[in-house]
Amino acid sequence: MRSLSVNAALLATAVLLAGCDNTGTTIGEPILPNKNPFPSTYQVPVSSALVIQGGNLLTGNNQQLENTDLVVENGIITAIGSNLQVPQGATVIDATGKWVTPGLIDVHSHMGVYPAPETSNHSDGNEMTSPVTPQVWAEHSVWPEDPHFEKALAGGVTTVQILPGSGNLIGGRGVTLKNIPSLTVQGMKFPDAPYSLKMACGENPKRVYGNRDMLPSTRMGNMAGYRGAWIEAAAYKKSWDDYVADINAGDDVDPPIRDLRLETLMGVLDGEIRIHNHCYKVDEMAQMIDMSKEFGYEIAAFHHAVEGYKAAPMLAAENICGVMWADWWGFKQEAFDMVRENIALVDYANACAIIHSDDPIQVQRMNQEVAKAMSAGRRMGLDISRAKAIGWATLNPAISLGLEDRIGSLESGKNADIVLWSADPLSVYSLAEKVWIDGALRFDRNDPSVQPTSDFNLGILHAEESRP
Amino acid sequence: MKNFTRFLLLSLLTANASAESILIKNVDIYSGSETLPSSHIYIADGLIKALGDAVPETADRVIDGSGKSISPGLFNAETHLGAVEVSAIRQTVDFYTDNADVTASLKVADAFNPNSTLLPHNRIHGLTHALSVPESNSGLFAGQVALIELGKQPRVVNDSVAVAMDFSEYGVSLVGNSRAAAMAVLRQNLADAIDFSANKTAAMAGQRRDYSLSLADLQALEPIVKGTQPLIVKVHRASDISNILSLADKYAIKLILSGVMEGWMVANDIASANVPVIMDPIYNLPQSYESLGARLDNAKLLNDAGVTLIFTGMSSSQSTHNAYLVRQSAGNAVANGLDKNSAIAAMTSNPATLFNANVSGDIKVGAIANLVLWGGDPLEMTSEAELVIINGEQIPMASRSLQLRDRYFKVAP
Repeated sequence: MRSLSVNAALLATAVLLAGCDNTGTTIGEPILPNKNPFPSTYQVPVSSALVIQGGNLLTGNNQQLENTDLVVENGIITAIGSNLQVPQGATVIDATGKWVTPGLIDVHSHMGVYPAPETSNHSDGNEMTSPVTPQVWAEHSVWPEDPHFEKALAGGVTTVQILPGSGNLIGGRGVTLKNIPSLTVQGMKFPDAPYSLKMACGENPKRVYGNRDMLPSTRMGNMAGYRGAWIEAAAYKKSWDDYVADINAGDDVDPPIRDLRLETLMGVLDGEIRIHNHCYKVDEMAQMIDMSKEFGYEIAAFHHAVEGYKAAPMLAAENICGVMWADWWGFKQEAFDMVRENIALVDYANACAIIHSDDPIQVQRMNQEVAKAMSAGRRMGLDISRAKAIGWATLNPAISLGLEDRIGSLESGKNADIVLWSADPLSVYSLAEKVWIDGALRFDRNDPSVQPTSDFNLGILHAEESRP
Repeated sequence: MKNFTRFLLLSLLTANASAESILIKNVDIYSGSETLPSSHIYIADGLIKALGDAVPETADRVIDGSGKSISPGLFNAETHLGAVEVSAIRQTVDFYTDNADVTASLKVADAFNPNSTLLPHNRIHGLTHALSVPESNSGLFAGQVALIELGKQPRVVNDSVAVAMDFSEYGVSLVGNSRAAAMAVLRQNLADAIDFSANKTAAMAGQRRDYSLSLADLQALEPIVKGTQPLIVKVHRASDISNILSLADKYAIKLILSGVMEGWMVANDIASANVPVIMDPIYNLPQSYESLGARLDNAKLLNDAGVTLIFTGMSSSQSTHNAYLVRQSAGNAVANGLDKNSAIAAMTSNPATLFNANVSGDIKVGAIANLVLWGGDPLEMTSEAELVIINGEQIPMASRSLQLRDRYFKVAP
């Protein structure tokens, strides 16, 4: 079967050199770029079945289940309920008096690309040599030994989206990683996760390039910069669509010359790459939405949406997630109109509300950030349960990443990314005791052999120890 | 935003009549030194008049404190409050200067803006006092630290409680990018301050040698070299802390350490020198080579060694705008081993005592009422400040942020 339009499934079939139609006649097949040249090498570890018994579950999808068991087999949650049968050979965890949540997800992290120590040798998060750099991919900057990762894991964070910085209008591709120790970034890559593209509104790009007396130095310059790039991308997409159509019509034509910048933008126009857009202010969000309609793509999320509460009905109508801090403000004018009720109000408007960190300290206690946002909402009279609030750090971020079918909630059939908390996770005194990713124990507060430590830490304080 | 017209606001406890007497019953009181579970407190004429069973039967206002708690007003010992509005807008930032000739003589108090929006935002969440601390930008010495009160009329209580100095890698970078050079500069600065102090008339007449600092800076350092005012030194690496301790001992300087991410490694030395530390217990990352030893139980280990702790909080760029989050840092210190009373003291009574504040930082009979009623445990992020009394006066629960919220979320008629 042949189609004249380039569809996503066809493009996803990587490199096709030639093929046969059902008449047996050899005809040309389009030669398409490999969409996955740096494939994930992550494998779900073999681990015994797991039963977490009698815990207080916040499922991530707005349910609290008290004194409930959860069964994991082959890395997948297979049952949730009471008095469940323990599979043979299963590890049994007594969670009586403890709490269980899905692994937390941070959709805005620069771990690996701005690692510790914050020295110039590893400062690899912002390719500020041109305002439009969709050709750069964050994964190529990730240093897997960044000591930040293990601390985030100890805070219950199992999945992170690593984004380029916001110095550019279009900063490059983000990548979704499993928070596990690995020699290579490929070993951390979440298999088959969609790519994202980082864009940035507002003050940062116009400051960076304005200081160099080049476009953009203004917000109108910002808009001109994005639109110019999308016009190029649309023409590039047409050249590939035309090429595929010509080949399918039996013409012997050469493929267009690849352009890494435009290849990423074409991925957005084809609906394969998700836009994660740094954008604080409601007026700029509205312009970004209009621009997405002008060029025919969708926006997955507005990050640092300090004015999310002003944009909430718009976010709900356009099906765009608001990604927010609990209370950060005042570092820039665009972050001046903060309200602590922001996340609660976006949620109240039935938009997708997400907590993010953007920070290696905050990522270690996203549960506390959820607690602050919930508390602020309750204080103003909104009825927000813990079960609802934990979704801001679990299921909603999964939705923004396009991974809600695999992670973000405790449900049968989903990946067993699970955190066992010593107490109510919204308590400041609560600690993640155990963290599983795909059913494999990756962190255990009570067992030093299950506390990953970066190569960087070995012997760096005392020759005979690792740094704590 | 017409969709947002559903709920009635909670009837918040509102302030006004400072003359009104208040009785809060069955409330957990964290005094700054001890915990009094399910106790009672009686406040009148701006004073704590009675505690426990000694409280009167009734008052102008009686609050059921069940499930709630009281702590002294929060004190964050490392902020720039009153000296910044929007960090990225240079014209609103006064806690450092581009003028290389002004270091120790820079007084943050001279720039204090009582109308800053940051002050109501922080006080309604329980922050009653803070140090407003200058930052170094050209030399090791940053300037003079102000003690401020965030009451209804925010004010500078003391325009110079200490001089701040930076011996972190950043401070070192300002004077030649070598710790050894920075130490040489520091010794010269102190020698000059001593010479200036001993020969002030001649120095002022220009009859002494050339000095390494301006006369105004040397004047500001006089109480430091005389040992009458504390010097707050920001420093992180264990060996740097040791060197600063030795230097302070040699010059008889009244030292307070700040930062001390590797403090636990030399905790006994800090304790035996009787030097308090200002620190944020939230830090545990090797963000620089001077903080490789950063760890979440730094506060606990220092406390175990007998060091007096003074907290700042949530320093990830928010230690000023959200200075009230010092209690979140304190809560995390408790989650990592510090006892709760020590954590609360580190952001109430310890700094109030050390900096000779106008309030005691304690909940005790006869003290000026300077306290917060929390909806739950004072360190939990799910507890909100419901009533804040600063220096005897209830403050209105209003802020720019609340006005914004209410503009977009209208109360149903």
